Amino acid sequence: MNSNKKVIGAPRVSTFFINLIMVFVLLVILVPMLNLVAKSFSDPAQVAGMSGWRVIPKGFSLVNYQIIFSNPAIWRALMNSVVITVVGVALNVVVTSMAAYAMTRPELPGKSLFMAFFIMMMIFEPGIVQEYFVIKDLGLMDKLPVMMLYNTVTVYNLVLLMRFFSETPQSILEAASIDGAGHLNILFKVFLPMNKIPIMTVGMFYAVAHWNEFFRSSVFLTSNANTTLQVFLRRFVVEGDSTVLASLGSIDLTGISMTGLKSATIVVTVLPILCMYPFILKHYTSGVMSGGVKE
Amino acid sequence: MSGRTLASRNTWVRIKRNWILYAMLMPAILYFVAFKVQSIMGMSLAFYDYRIVGENVFVGLKHFRDLFSTPMFWQIMKNTLIISFVKLIIITPFPVAFAILLSEVGNGKLKKLTQVVSYLPHFLSWVVIAGIWFEFLSLNGVVMDIWETVGGTRMDLLTSKDTIIGVLVASEMWRSVGWDSIIYLSAILAISEDLYEAARLDGANRWQIIRNIVLPHLIPAIITVLIINMGVVLNTGYDQILNFQNDAVLSRIDVIDTYAYRIGLEGTRYSFSTAASLFKSILSLILILVTHFTSKKLTGKGAW
Repeated sequence: MNSNKKVIGAPRVSTFFINLIMVFVLLVILVPMLNLVAKSFSDPAQVAGMSGWRVIPKGFSLVNYQIIFSNPAIWRALMNSVVITVVGVALNVVVTSMAAYAMTRPELPGKSLFMAFFIMMMIFEPGIVQEYFVIKDLGLMDKLPVMMLYNTVTVYNLVLLMRFFSETPQSILEAASIDGAGHLNILFKVFLPMNKIPIMTVGMFYAVAHWNEFFRSSVFLTSNANTTLQVFLRRFVVEGDSTVLASLGSIDLTGISMTGLKSATIVVTVLPILCMYPFILKHYTSGVMSGGVKE
Repeated sequence: MSGRTLASRNTWVRIKRNWILYAMLMPAILYFVAFKVQSIMGMSLAFYDYRIVGENVFVGLKHFRDLFSTPMFWQIMKNTLIISFVKLIIITPFPVAFAILLSEVGNGKLKKLTQVVSYLPHFLSWVVIAGIWFEFLSLNGVVMDIWETVGGTRMDLLTSKDTIIGVLVASEMWRSVGWDSIIYLSAILAISEDLYEAARLDGANRWQIIRNIVLPHLIPAIITVLIINMGVVLNTGYDQILNFQNDAVLSRIDVIDTYAYRIGLEGTRYSFSTAASLFKSILSLILILVTHFTSKKLTGKGAW
């Protein structure tokens, strides 16, 4: 019903043009992405001659991925990113959901004061020099936990979770507190199970942010051993510095196409995001995707 | 007992009864105090000379005078304003148009596919996007193929001062138009079916319906987005700029953030860099306040 409501009586010509624009959007986004995937799976000898339009590999080969997964520097960076993301998200979810729960209890005196504090935290951006000094003073410089702790709470996610929490029926809370359950019990035994999907959604947003963090990682994690995947990718792909591959051991790159190897590194970096993507779509944008209203 | 003391006693009782709620709020507050409040207070360094050993020395506005008399700084100010406002002005209409088009796509499968694909770049890091775009814009890439077909000569858009801002705008659009259209799409889906029905009975065509029904319903969302974006307009961020920066275009796309990073952390002029950051923070704050009160006056709706 929804999909044809405006199509009735619509001129065929404009429908054709709208479809054409959609196809254009698809091509602009997909062709550069798929071209990289194709190059990563191609025979290294043939990559140089590949057109930017080509989305299927030329002479199939897995050699780039073999190099990536046998290179200690890339492994190290990959593992660092995984550890930071997993531990970081666990911390994010616990701290944010506790705060969101407290902030949505009507019996919390001084709530607007806290909200003003959070909004101020969102508006003010300190200089990078100050962030650097604070991390140094906290003794966290060049230690992996710094990137687990960085952005423990973001106000955006806090407010998002508060919106979901405030929709939980009050009657359930009252029933729980009559049973004598304390706030912590209510949060972990009643609230979290009831709000599984919002919490996972917020967790996904945090996970994407941790995984994609590049600038702060490059400033706060200075040694090769603590490099994250994004920082590695930046040195290798953006700065074109292939010595990073050898930072934790020697490597033989004869006959390897740098473009192919770079493409494969990008694919590996994006893979975890692609795994999370269907979930984010399903729950966060399901409303707008199925034609209903998300509120 | 007066009402006032009774009320304050009540508040005290409520605070005591709900201490556990404060305990639950504490980790979040502590995080902000330890990381952010401390950093913000540290910005007083702009008024001091940094000393490795011993107390910093108060020098008043010295570093600001240095900053304002550096010709380079004004170029960077100009870059920041140009990049910010060009992005804001050029990009804002696209998600609106895209949402309208999406809502008009009759074919359910094409619509869904376009949504799935167009939201994806929002979740890619700038490092990855730069990696993709370097190939996309390379001399034998897709863009130059098309450019040559329409009669141009192949060139490197990434190392030309005249095109780099265009690249920043285009890559930002590539990343965010899809995702940013969601807020407008849900506003469109919230429009009552009766309105369309009535318009059709009156013989309105597709364009008239868009102009007279859909667009007016999108105005509140557009204003909200504009207010939010105005407030953060100077936060050009590090990631996009740093990843698209190269020696050939540095002077054109160096912004306050990246400048403060370069002179402060890659160099060690801590106080000077802090002065630049603080100057940006104050400008941002003024912008936020101005948009808030202007919008409150015009639409009755502020940023908070």
